[in-house]
Amino acid sequence: MTALALMMSAVLGVHGAETVWSGLVIAENVAQPQQIPGELTRIERPLRNLFGYNQFQVIGQSRKTLQTGQEDWLATSKFFGLHVDARGEGEGGYVLNLKLYKEKELLLETDAKLNKRSPLIIKGPQVGGGQLLLVLVVQ
Amino acid sequence: MKTFEEKWTAWLDGQLTGRELTEFEASLPDKDAAEAEKADARKLGTLLKRELGAQTLANEEFFSHQLRERISRERRTRSREHNVAFPTWWTIRRLLWTGTASLAVFLIFAVSVIRDKNPSGQSQYLTQILNTRVDPVVSPNATVSIFEAKEDQVTVLWTEGLQSLPSDYAAK
Repeated sequence: MTALALMMSAVLGVHGAETVWSGLVIAENVAQPQQIPGELTRIERPLRNLFGYNQFQVIGQSRKTLQTGQEDWLATSKFFGLHVDARGEGEGGYVLNLKLYKEKELLLETDAKLNKRSPLIIKGPQVGGGQLLLVLVVQ
Repeated sequence: MKTFEEKWTAWLDGQLTGRELTEFEASLPDKDAAEAEKADARKLGTLLKRELGAQTLANEEFFSHQLRERISRERRTRSREHNVAFPTWWTIRRLLWTGTASLAVFLIFAVSVIRDKNPSGQSQYLTQILNTRVDPVVSPNATVSIFEAKEDQVTVLWTEGLQSLPSDYAAK
C-alpha cells in the first residue's frame, strides 16, 4: 500500500509541503560571542569565512510552509522588514521576489530562484559596528 | 558392284579380305608397284594422322588460351566498371578531416547550448539571483555582486555602499 502511494505520488508529481525560513541577522564581532542560532548552523562556516564576524544573532524571522508556491510573507525586526513573495515553483526551487525595507523605505529589491539545497545570503546595510544579513533557507 | 577406285581405296586401307582381296590383287597389272604405292599411302596416312592430331591439339590449346584471356579481360573490365560505379571516397585524409570537422561542430553546439541554458554563468544547482535593484536616491553609490560558495552550496548577494545605519537598528 505504501509502495503504491509512493508510486502514485511520483507519477503525479506530488511534492510534500516545504518550509522556507527567512531571517534578519545581525553579524558582529564581540568579545564573548553567543552560540549561533540553530537555523544558521548549516551555513555557519560560510557566514564566518565570508563576512568575518564571530557572532550572528537573529533579530527577525519567519517560517513559512509553502503549499502552492505562490504565498507571500514578512519577516520583521523593530526597524527592518523583509517581504518575500513566492512566484511559483520551478525546477528544483522557488522563484521569490524579496524586498528589504527600513521602516517604510525600500532599501533593496531582488528576484531569486531559491534552490532547495542552496541557502541564500544577502549582505545588507552596515548597522553600527555590525552588518545586517538576510538569510533564506528551504528546510 | 564396286568400281575399281573403290576397291583400290579399300585395298589401300586394308579393308579387302577373302576372295575379294584375292581377285583384286590378281587383277592388278603390277602388284609390286601397287604394294609400294600402298606403303606410301600408309606412310602418308600416318603422317597426316599425326600432323592433323597435333594441329587439333594446338587449336584446342589456342582456343582455351583465348577463352582464358577473354575471361580475365572481362573480369578486369567488370572490376573497372565496379570501381567507377562505387569509388572509394573514404580515404584516410578525408576520414581525418571529417572526424575533426564533426568534433568541431559538436563542440560549438555543446558550448552554445550550455551558454543558452545558463546565460548568467550561475550554477543551476545553486540558488540563482535573477536581478537586483537598489534605490539610487537612498543609496546612490551602492553596487551589487553575486558569488557562489560552491563548497558550501551557498549563493551570496553582496552589496556595497548601502546607507549605513546606527546600532539602534540592530534591535529585535
